[in-house]
Amino acid sequence: MGAYVLRRLWQMIPTLAGVMLLIFVLFNWVGGDPALVLAGKITNKEQIENIRKQLGVDQPSYIQLAYFGFEVATGFTCTWRSYTEKPTDSPKPTADAKADTKTDTKADTTDAAKAAPSGCQAVRSWATNEEVPKILTSRIGPTLTIMIPVLILETVFGVILAIGVAYVRGSLTDRMIMMVCTVAMSISFLVYIIVAQYYFGFKWGMFPVQGWSDSFWKNLTTYAPLPILLAVFVGLAPALRLYRSFFLDEINNDYVRTARAKGLAEKTVMLKHVLRNAMIPILTNIGIALPGIFVGSFLLESFFSIPGLGREILVAVNRSDFPVIKAATVYLAMITMLINLAVDVLYKAVDPRVSFK
Amino acid sequence: MSNLLEVRNLNVKFRIDGGKIFEAVKGVSFDVPTNSTVALVGESGSGKSVSAMSIVRLLPRETAIVSPDSEVNFGGLNLLAASEQKMRDIRGKEISVIFQEPMSSLNPVFTVGDQIAEVLRLHTNMTRAQAWTRAEELMAEVGIPHPKSRMKSFPHELSGGQQQRVMIAQAIACEPKLLIADEPTTALDVTIQKQILDLIAKLQAKHHMSVLFITHDLAVVGEIADHVVVMQSGEIKEKGTAKAIFEAPQHPYTKALLSCRPSVEKRPRRLPVIDDFLRPEGVNQANLIERKRGYTADDKIVLEVKNLSKHFSMREGFFKKRDVPAVKDATFKLARGKTLGLVGESGSGKTTVGLTLMRLHEATGGEVFFEGVDLLKLSENDFTKYKRRIQIIFQNPYASLNPRFTVGQILMEPMEIHSIGKDTQERVNMSMALLKRVGMPEVSFYKYPHEFSGGQRQRIAIARCLTMKPDVLICDESVSALDVSVQAQVLNLLQDLQDEYQMSYIFISHDLAVVKYISDQVMVMSEGAVIEVANSDDIYLNPQQEYTRKLLGSIPKGWQGVAAPAPISA
Amino acid sequence: MSAVLTNTPTAAPLHQASPGLWTLAWRRLKRDKIGMVSLIVVVFFLLLMLGSYAGIVAGNWSKEVGVSYANPSFMAGAENLDAVKAKVDANAEKIPYVDLSDIDPLAPRYKEWEERTAKIKITETPRSDTLIFGGDKWGRDVLQKAIKGAQTSILVGLVAALFATVIGTTLGAISGYMGGKIGDFLEWFYNIFTSIPYILLILAFAAVFSSSPSLAPYRGVPMVVAILAFTGWTGIYRLIRSEYIKHASREYVKAAQAIGATHSRRMFVHILPNVSHVCLVQLSQHVVQFIKAEVILSFLGLGVPVDSVSWGTMLAEAQSELVIGKWWQLAAAGISMAILVTAFSMLTDSLRDALDPKIK
Repeated sequence: MGAYVLRRLWQMIPTLAGVMLLIFVLFNWVGGDPALVLAGKITNKEQIENIRKQLGVDQPSYIQLAYFGFEVATGFTCTWRSYTEKPTDSPKPTADAKADTKTDTKADTTDAAKAAPSGCQAVRSWATNEEVPKILTSRIGPTLTIMIPVLILETVFGVILAIGVAYVRGSLTDRMIMMVCTVAMSISFLVYIIVAQYYFGFKWGMFPVQGWSDSFWKNLTTYAPLPILLAVFVGLAPALRLYRSFFLDEINNDYVRTARAKGLAEKTVMLKHVLRNAMIPILTNIGIALPGIFVGSFLLESFFSIPGLGREILVAVNRSDFPVIKAATVYLAMITMLINLAVDVLYKAVDPRVSFK
Repeated sequence: MSNLLEVRNLNVKFRIDGGKIFEAVKGVSFDVPTNSTVALVGESGSGKSVSAMSIVRLLPRETAIVSPDSEVNFGGLNLLAASEQKMRDIRGKEISVIFQEPMSSLNPVFTVGDQIAEVLRLHTNMTRAQAWTRAEELMAEVGIPHPKSRMKSFPHELSGGQQQRVMIAQAIACEPKLLIADEPTTALDVTIQKQILDLIAKLQAKHHMSVLFITHDLAVVGEIADHVVVMQSGEIKEKGTAKAIFEAPQHPYTKALLSCRPSVEKRPRRLPVIDDFLRPEGVNQANLIERKRGYTADDKIVLEVKNLSKHFSMREGFFKKRDVPAVKDATFKLARGKTLGLVGESGSGKTTVGLTLMRLHEATGGEVFFEGVDLLKLSENDFTKYKRRIQIIFQNPYASLNPRFTVGQILMEPMEIHSIGKDTQERVNMSMALLKRVGMPEVSFYKYPHEFSGGQRQRIAIARCLTMKPDVLICDESVSALDVSVQAQVLNLLQDLQDEYQMSYIFISHDLAVVKYISDQVMVMSEGAVIEVANSDDIYLNPQQEYTRKLLGSIPKGWQGVAAPAPISA
Repeated sequence: MSAVLTNTPTAAPLHQASPGLWTLAWRRLKRDKIGMVSLIVVVFFLLLMLGSYAGIVAGNWSKEVGVSYANPSFMAGAENLDAVKAKVDANAEKIPYVDLSDIDPLAPRYKEWEERTAKIKITETPRSDTLIFGGDKWGRDVLQKAIKGAQTSILVGLVAALFATVIGTTLGAISGYMGGKIGDFLEWFYNIFTSIPYILLILAFAAVFSSSPSLAPYRGVPMVVAILAFTGWTGIYRLIRSEYIKHASREYVKAAQAIGATHSRRMFVHILPNVSHVCLVQLSQHVVQFIKAEVILSFLGLGVPVDSVSWGTMLAEAQSELVIGKWWQLAAAGISMAILVTAFSMLTDSLRDALDPKIK
């Protein structure tokens, strides 16, 4: 197994390099000159040239790529951005995070960037000048507060309901439930959120309309329940459909016939033999969904003003705050790969046929 | 002798696609006497498995309809009318079942010990520990070595034969009165088949069970059955004692089944087929004259293979790779107009030899001389013009024809690729002629493969090869998936074509009787190595190697006169 | 039980053209009532889309034909405070009129201007108090907006799904059939895309595409299509790849190799028709997925621009309208989308059943 894990870690290197290459190509080439994006409405050639130097985009691409690699590895960015600049004593105050007017924010940031001292400093947001690693680590808590309960509830309810539906497969109940699921899945998540927030929060006051606090328990008991319930409710229909299909796939296998031939009751057949086998694809599916919990439901986070990672990324996208998006993408890709490896190793526990080769 | 089980007027229908109804079993009645073995024999679609499964009510609930006036009497109880609870008490305790595919019939995520103990815990009052101990004894009884450690194995860690032994242990755990064995040896190699058959016979005698044995193979029936029920298309054609069925068959279908399967002893010029028995004049005696086989000194060699080897590499650990030899230094010759038979059990490398000759796998080493040219050394381009000279017919007739092509397209494609025939019209004419030659109506040209049965598809596959007029035809288990009656027809067709076109065949099969029938020379393979090559009569009469003797000894002997009582200690 | 089914006699008359697998699948689909109803609904929406594209229906969606937040006709009696307020406001503006003609040098021309304005006003149709399914803030007909929105959303969904299917199928076919170095390379490429969480991938593409000055002319539908297609091909790739690996080892492909068919012939003439049903089902499934995604992207302002309309932009407007009790825009966009997507999903399920090669 050690050899397997080592080999998998080794294989991650090219993939991670690929992710960085993709991000680099995307943000430095496809999107055009990042300096122009940062400059926003500034048209002064000289100023733009300065920004290009600060960003290092005047360098050959392989050097830019190397800088990017360094940034990813250390979370720091170094002197190239200001080597032609005279160091000033102190960076200008950061731009107001709440300022929504893009150009103003950017102009401020540009000044701040220009004034950055030589030497190394943490990679900062273009929009708020906050240190990017700090942004990411501070936003992950609220996201997980929402998403971990969602994942657990969705899986538990999904599996229980799917067994029930698979047990009565082909019946009217089964067909009705599947129909309801299809219809429920066809309504946009947005509609659910808008309606639920209006009625449960605004009109009936059962939950706060939005908000977040510093206390974990207050968050979990006051602010999180509505978003969690919404996410579970919306996620349940597709989960139920999928898990039901896993159960039905298993039911047609020969070993189920053997179990019946032994004289086992249908309930035992389902809850022991079929469930144990269906857990394999179900776990695979959870493994696929697991990395997604870090981005969280960005829609829920923005509707309910939850200061999570998803909302942060969305805000960054709206402000074209490239450093934040790039960092989030690369680091989440790393986490995803590690989770995938962990899931594959855990697989051995559910499926004895798995061997690490 | 009293009857343990009486099946009366069993009718089973299936709802199939498009609201149609398919009658699988039509008014079947038979008995299973106490303490005896009854064989239910028939080809695919005869309804034999459906009949057996309806006894224990294990047919798919959604689609199967058992007619209400059908009866299955077991110990004074009509099983078809019994409550579900009653049925559960009977299944596994009074009546147990073993299935064809032991691998998929065992639950992959539980240990075999758990699976045997489960049935004991269900039907007896044993504690967990008692059940575990008893399961271990059962494992020992069915002949699994090191039962103590094997108990904790998962099914995939056992071989096919051992898996089937586990299934049997599970089935006999509660000392059932009736064991239903649904093609229990069909998926197994011939040597393993012999062991499993012996085991079932031994257990039957020891535990005084009755066995309902479902099979398509009359040779197996002859070895173990006391009574035989012959079925065809959902109906019983004939039933009686084994002696009566084998020595004095009444129904033409039974007669045909008995004689169309090649046997090791006889080699008629043509195999009798069902139609022969339905004709008033009967079988043409001229066809039954013995055919001489074997290489002779003046045979012209078309293909000479020297030290052919093929390794597959498997990944192991961190970066390491391991070579797994599939074929080791195979050397043989193929004479013009003759057949070389390749026999061996699964994993012996016989199929790999065929594929490597055609360069469907790249060989690891060795030489293949065809008309003085080493085919393996040719570039991809140069090899193209030799491709039409060596052709192959695969095992699975359902997979070897492109389902999206019409038969016409299938036949015309090779002619277009190799520019055979000057224009489309000529190619159409040639295709029509070939269809006729392989015994298919010309209208097949416009149809799709899904409209044909397995035997017909295999004829189409043969016609496709014939379009290229190959010198060498490799038949890779080409008749193994076919019913015996169809098998005989296809074997006859292959023989006729060889006589007509002087083609050379490499006939790959696990079926020793078929290989003996069709081959001039036989090459026995095991684990990638060639064990023995000799003229087929020599090898069957006078095997030189221990492995060959073991293989030949496992061939089911069929009916040997009055069945000797099953040996108690085997 | 397969033995039972394969022995079913195929009773085809001898001289009739033989049905291929597509024909058989179509026959099965025709027997599926839910599938046929879904198909009719989907075709209806497609016709609506074409009609709206050609300007036959919903051509006037941008005209302000009603009062602000006009009530739906079926609840005409309900009071519409906003509309009343708007009218009052309009009147109020006219009241504080002080005659400044003495000191205003332009005073003599006012009369002329007023006359001109009056003429223009005459050509403007009177604003209706109610509209079939209500009006939005500017008094535009919500029903027409929903139809126009359908056009955008369906177009984006269809085209993006088509592109994603083409990309996924091509790469999957090459990777699955060729294997080896090329296969490894494509697997690497695929791993890059799948190791980034899907939502994040879309947002990263959206961020770059929407902020790039050089891509500015393509904003709107082409950009959304590009974002969805470039990020959404991976699932199709995975499936088609495994289908190709499976088929490449099938005997009919080996037989084609044995008779000397070239690689491209085996890939496209032999295997492709045998996996095309998978592509079709995937296409249909991705249309649904992309319609949903487009709605969310447009809602977030990353999709179609504000001056055109899609179900997503309608929902964005509807959010604030709901607070003042104007629910109809939300309902119009939500319901029309739900109907289409339900029908499309059910059609996908029926297609999958009808095309399943296991059922014969």
